[in-house]
Amino acid sequence: MSDHYRAIDWNRQKRCYDAALAGLVVMGAATFLGVTAWVSPESTAETLILRTTSVLAFFLLHILLAIGPLARLDPQFLPLLYNRRHLGVTIFLLALVHGLLATIQFHALGDENPLVSLLTAYSRDYRVWSDGRWQLAHFPFEPFGVLALGVLLILAALSHDFWLKRLGAGLWKAFHLLIYPAYVLLVAHVAFGILQTERSPVYPILLGIGFLVITALHLLAAAREKVRSTTAAAASSEGFVPVGAVPSLEEGHARVLKVGRQRVALVRHQDRLFATGNVCRHQGGPLGEGRVVNGCLTCPWHGWNYQPEDGCSPPPFDEVIPTYRLRMIDGELWIHPVPLPTRTASTGVALPENGSNPQPKGAS
Amino acid sequence: MSNEFYIGYEDTPPRSLSRLLGRVALGLAVILLVIVGAVAASQSPAEPGNYDFGVEKSFEGILVEGALPLLQVGTAPGAITNYLLVGSGKFGLPIFARGHGGEHVQFRGSLIQKGDAVMIEMNDPTSFAAVKTPSNEIASDHSIGPVSLTGELVDTKCYFGVMRPGAGKVHRGCAARCLHGGVPPGLLLRDSAGNALVVMLTGTGTSKLDLDPEWAARFIRVEGQLLMRGNVPVMEVRRLELAD
Repeated sequence: MSDHYRAIDWNRQKRCYDAALAGLVVMGAATFLGVTAWVSPESTAETLILRTTSVLAFFLLHILLAIGPLARLDPQFLPLLYNRRHLGVTIFLLALVHGLLATIQFHALGDENPLVSLLTAYSRDYRVWSDGRWQLAHFPFEPFGVLALGVLLILAALSHDFWLKRLGAGLWKAFHLLIYPAYVLLVAHVAFGILQTERSPVYPILLGIGFLVITALHLLAAAREKVRSTTAAAASSEGFVPVGAVPSLEEGHARVLKVGRQRVALVRHQDRLFATGNVCRHQGGPLGEGRVVNGCLTCPWHGWNYQPEDGCSPPPFDEVIPTYRLRMIDGELWIHPVPLPTRTASTGVALPENGSNPQPKGAS
Repeated sequence: MSNEFYIGYEDTPPRSLSRLLGRVALGLAVILLVIVGAVAASQSPAEPGNYDFGVEKSFEGILVEGALPLLQVGTAPGAITNYLLVGSGKFGLPIFARGHGGEHVQFRGSLIQKGDAVMIEMNDPTSFAAVKTPSNEIASDHSIGPVSLTGELVDTKCYFGVMRPGAGKVHRGCAARCLHGGVPPGLLLRDSAGNALVVMLTGTGTSKLDLDPEWAARFIRVEGQLLMRGNVPVMEVRRLELAD
């Protein structure tokens, strides 16, 4: 987090992450090259580079897509999320080498502009229905790869805090959700390309397993998310809505409340409960899954801090999240879904001595 | 689930998470080895072939133009070798060599070879020299007879060694570009054991085959006259159609 964007220093964790990533890339490349040299020693160097980069990029893309839902299912995987943008940029670089070399290898030095040839070399087969039957097997696979590489280029270019700051977390995050269409495009690129040439069942099996794993992880994470959020009931008097009996929260812990269509982070800090916005200003991380560290609610994704009382980041930083009023009525916790004016300090509601349930109290 | 909280900007993660991350990295490495190894091991082996990229040799013989440009080396029966001729990049016989059919020529080029099939990439225009005396020593064809064959349409420059593999869907765009540029088309035939043979495709007589380059890497059925032009199997095509 910052009062203005600036380069983030490398720390030991980041270096370890990048070293592990580099190790995976080197090990994967060595494995592919070694095995290919054994089973297909006549392959040209260009073929080796094309296939090595594509296999590694596609494998790492699966890892990247799995990290999000894994971290939602088990916070122990959150460290994989912290430096995920380096993984994304690595995937883009591998895909870029693959795309450039394929364009040069297959389409340069001919009687047509290579980029035009890339999309038109056998353009008649864009018709998937002809002669009274489907012709899907002949459909060009190159456009899927071109589009996916374009998306990866945009995401890699935006993978910097400069753009995060300029675009805002919401728009920045929306751009990065384009990774899902890119994944679908790459599945099509593989299915219409190499799967039409190679006849081993290993390829469709691995492609199917990868797709199923990614889909299943996202569905599981979504289901867990639904269960984990406590949903407030209908609105009642003075605009407050009941949350129900407050579940036990350890000191410094938080949880997510769903109030109408918005999510709120409920935080226990110094034996009081506070309610803040759930969305981190950095990348939209779930603050209700964070902890209070050094007096600040800390985002589990990248460690951005907010004071539970007023939602402000500690000086000199200037980020702020909404805060909400809480009330105890007949042993139940109530929340007002309209945020307090920005930077308004709240005293929260006090917890009893044993710390398990809040004492009934008026508006905080 | 661990009760420890991870903060990325701190220098070290909690100890239990460090252990977990080590196991995750190890697990990923194992998965990577298995998957990448399986993908690599499942590849169809590229067929042998050779392309002397960057290596030029001198060649001399009789230039045969027409439907299938060749360099005929040797004149005595049984001692003739026909080299298919192509240009640099994705082009057929280069402009500087055209109009010299029937002449003795010499030039430097790069050899492309797959089995008995030999091809020369004429990539050095300055080395090309023609002896202006017309030659009557072009060997005659040996006719085999009318046949109907089905196989994959390939561009012979890539298939004979420039690209390995130089056939199939992944290579299709390149093959279409090469055929468009005048690289001689070939019909790739395989027997049940996977042994491959390429028959060069031409029109009848001296005419080039009227072929849609977009049929590259697709299976086609051709009917025509099969013949041997020295060491080169050639089919003068009367009829062709898509077969896949």
